[in-house]
Amino acid sequence: MKNFHYIGKETPRPDAPDKAAGKALYIHDLERPGMLYGKIKFSNHPHARIKHIDASKAERLNGVRAVITANNSPEVRLGFLGDNVALKKDKVRQYRDEIAAVAAIDPDTAEEAVELIKVEYEPLPGLFSPQEAMKKGSPLIHETDAQGRPRTDNLVPLRYRHQSGDLDAGKRAAKYVAEGEFSTPRVQQCCMGTAGCIAEFDMNSNLTIWAKTQIPFLAQRDFNRALSDMGLRDKNTRIIVPALGGGFGTGLDTHAYEYIAILLAYKTGRPVKIVYARDEEFAYLSPRQSSITKITQGCDQNGRLTFREVEVLQDNGAYTSWGATYPSVMMMPATSLYRVSNIYFNAKLVYTNNTFCQAMRGYGNPEHTWALESNSDELAREAGVDPYEFRIINCNKPKETTPMGFKVSTCGLKECLQTVAKKLDWKKQNKKGKCRGKGMASLVHVGGGGRIYRSDASGLILKLDDFGNVNAYHGGVEMGQGLHSVLTLGIAEALGVRPDKVFINPLDTSTCPWDVGTHASRGAFMACNAAILAANKLRGKIFKLAEELFPQEAEKNLKKYRKKNPGYKPPAFDFVKEAKKERFDLKDGSIFIKGAPPEPWLSLDLGRLLRAIHFRTQGQMLATEVFYDPPNELPDFAKGFGNISATYAYGTQGAEVEVDTETGEVKILRMVAAHDVGKVLNPRALKGQIYGALAQGIGYALYEELQSEKGKIVNPNFRDYKIPTAQEMNFPIDLEFIETNDSFGPFGAKGVAEPGLVPTAPAIANAIYDAVGIRVRDLPITPEKILSALKKLKASKG
Amino acid sequence: MRRFDYLRPKSLKEALQLKKTIAGAKYISGGTDLIVQIKNRELQPTTLISLRSIPELARIEINGGARIGALATISDLIQHIELGHNYPVLIAAAKRLGSLQIRNVATTGGNLCNCSPSADMALPLLVLEAKVRLQSAKASREIPLSEFFKGPGKSCLSSDEIMTDILLEPPSQKTKATFLKKGRVKMDLAIASLALLVEIEGGRCRKARIAAGSVASMPLRLFDVEALLEGSTISKDSVSKAQQLARDTVSPITDLRATEEYRRHVVGVYMKRGLEKVFG
Repeated sequence: MKNFHYIGKETPRPDAPDKAAGKALYIHDLERPGMLYGKIKFSNHPHARIKHIDASKAERLNGVRAVITANNSPEVRLGFLGDNVALKKDKVRQYRDEIAAVAAIDPDTAEEAVELIKVEYEPLPGLFSPQEAMKKGSPLIHETDAQGRPRTDNLVPLRYRHQSGDLDAGKRAAKYVAEGEFSTPRVQQCCMGTAGCIAEFDMNSNLTIWAKTQIPFLAQRDFNRALSDMGLRDKNTRIIVPALGGGFGTGLDTHAYEYIAILLAYKTGRPVKIVYARDEEFAYLSPRQSSITKITQGCDQNGRLTFREVEVLQDNGAYTSWGATYPSVMMMPATSLYRVSNIYFNAKLVYTNNTFCQAMRGYGNPEHTWALESNSDELAREAGVDPYEFRIINCNKPKETTPMGFKVSTCGLKECLQTVAKKLDWKKQNKKGKCRGKGMASLVHVGGGGRIYRSDASGLILKLDDFGNVNAYHGGVEMGQGLHSVLTLGIAEALGVRPDKVFINPLDTSTCPWDVGTHASRGAFMACNAAILAANKLRGKIFKLAEELFPQEAEKNLKKYRKKNPGYKPPAFDFVKEAKKERFDLKDGSIFIKGAPPEPWLSLDLGRLLRAIHFRTQGQMLATEVFYDPPNELPDFAKGFGNISATYAYGTQGAEVEVDTETGEVKILRMVAAHDVGKVLNPRALKGQIYGALAQGIGYALYEELQSEKGKIVNPNFRDYKIPTAQEMNFPIDLEFIETNDSFGPFGAKGVAEPGLVPTAPAIANAIYDAVGIRVRDLPITPEKILSALKKLKASKG
Repeated sequence: MRRFDYLRPKSLKEALQLKKTIAGAKYISGGTDLIVQIKNRELQPTTLISLRSIPELARIEINGGARIGALATISDLIQHIELGHNYPVLIAAAKRLGSLQIRNVATTGGNLCNCSPSADMALPLLVLEAKVRLQSAKASREIPLSEFFKGPGKSCLSSDEIMTDILLEPPSQKTKATFLKKGRVKMDLAIASLALLVEIEGGRCRKARIAAGSVASMPLRLFDVEALLEGSTISKDSVSKAQQLARDTVSPITDLRATEEYRRHVVGVYMKRGLEKVFG
């Protein structure tokens, strides 16, 4: 294996000191001269006709600069199906529908003005579950589609289907079958930094927007389209991304509040800032989509899977954002976790009057793995096979192609399973009388990008200065996950400079090259692959110029060295003849000839060479630009086929729990995790990713649920929306990384931003079953659900 | 948030005077409940009169018993060594109140005057049979805490009064006490909680004081269970009876935090566990 200089070394993140000291500037910290504050009036009906909007009082309030409604501003469509508009005109379809907005000189005035806007509604019957909304004769939530064609039902026009092998044959071959319905709730991403933006127009009507986004370049496209909708044809948007207090998927789409800020800024001619308060973040930002999964699996007498049949039903909410594409990711574990050749997968999405949903870490994978890995445990027990052995029997292997067409390059799943079993003392009996149990669950996830758009590329510009510094311009978003840390190490390693000589510049669409967005665990994989490409190009340029300039600079060095060391005899080495571009190397910012004697004067500081290049007649400065597009393909999700990622990440997590059978409380005693990460880039950053994801997974498993009553979010605050704190994470996490050195991965690495969350809930559920013999099938697994399941178990035993 | 004036009187007298003269004024101590209510527009005071610059209100005195100034923060209680030594159950509850940041500003009197059914400090103070001193411009009165609460957000504190002190009897060497709290996570409002204080002599329960939180419209003394236990020997049977009676006595509601049934159940379990704990 290759020896690395910086890769794999425990390195503090370059952005950490500023963030810890409060110096990093988040959207909340930013102000622009003359800036106004925007505030949105939201619906207080889940489904109703808007009869009348009276904004006259708000308009007259001192300090108000603009009040906009659908009646006085252009229609701006949003969402990938175009089924949503920034300001609602005729009808509201969910509690959070935007009716009007105000721009005022301060936040208090804006809030007061919003309260003065009076809206008359004619309530319509609401539909709050997909089952209800699917019924024949249910009222239509959207009477027409985005193109104005009439609709006849509440189904979302998206197809996700996979069929492979022969399902009936698979069923016939099954000796044991397990069937179950598993559901997951809506949960919120809970970014530490809430959503917000500042929109500002220049006098040429070009827009600059400081946006909390994970997709600056797709957002540029979206906003340019909005400008066009506003009659500003051929005008451009420049997006500047401030420090982000977490993304977790919230920045994967553009939002109504952003379009509203744009409309207000254009109307007032002044910068307008909209930032969500925490309760607004909970109630008016799209959460993770809920799901209901019916799954049946069967295996033969040896525990080998013979078929898998899955039906997914999703509550889409009132409009469409990326939540509606979760099944595209659910298909991944459904077709490619464990070896099974006869598969049927189908997903249906239904409009309801609930809040609509967007991306969140894992993106359908935690939902599906919850069902799949709970059901796998049930099937193993049904077949009388140890759940760990069952997973080993059906384990994926390197170099296989899965039924969905995933070309698996490396696969460390078996090692992950073995590691977790060993660390959990799997074979050791649980302590008697303690209600303790162990469980495990595995995952597969994209680890080499995820092509869900025509391009899955990532651009990088490297610019060298006179001092040997490297300025990087990259389109990926640092949102707290540590992207800048690994990009810094990747550039330093590939180019041959010290990490402290690498500077990652703020993300701005006017200076940074295109990148599809920071999602699908692709940040590190893309950025470091781009870094390697760029570094190789730069090294070529540097070494070519060194061919010309190295001899004269080394000569100067030697002269100086001799003056300092009288009587010095240089070794016999013809550096003039040896100075060939292919002979050079660059390490720690010094250029030298490979195989040359280690004389200090024979090594040339990069900065010095760059100055020599710059300041000669017809001098030049060095920079390079690359565009890395990974070898993967855009799948056809209606057919359920396509190698979406260049490589795939695998992992297994295990839990040991103790259940209090009197109160129903679950105490996690320890967790173990083994992840096939390809190669560890920065151990410290990587551990942070897994710990954080695992904690989010525990929230998903045991505590979190965005509760709603007839479409209204009733716990829009941390008082009643509970996430795990340090006191819940009060147990050891034993983490091990399996390095499979993937040939597509930069330095061998795969993406691992999401995997830590994915199998956490089923691992815990399986441990609960092991402890007390009950299975809760709807998340979160609350004490009340445990008690009720225990009661049923007791009753069934008589 | 609506604008309001903020005043910070230096004496109790001035504070009482200000309240009388300003319409729509509210007292504020730690503000950890009040500011939330104002932000949620449940309250819209014209003026907030802070009690934080009145030094005698924050004092803690040990004088055989204890006098705890109503403005003493929860962290003040936790850091007071003698208080913790004399009334460990009080500190056990204090440590479970909110987060460290909240404990650093929330006050003992504030926790009581907010009159939440889940008030963590109310339970140990109820079983310790604390009295509270209420001061108006004209008079001062002392009443048992068990008579203070009148319902959610309601107490017998009149609008011209300030709670100045919480008074505790000298600790008894013969009593044992415990505090149990169930939240959805550790740092949470109680969905059910219980404080228990008993005096045991020769395996017999001579005195029992029990209080439960979040299971009625106010922090509740469980007098019936106390009566059941007092004078009886502690056995599996009496514990089980107490568990059942505790379940039946309380009158919780179902809300988004927990169901009525679960709150009842937990109070019963805590009754049992509390007794098992204090009786070893």
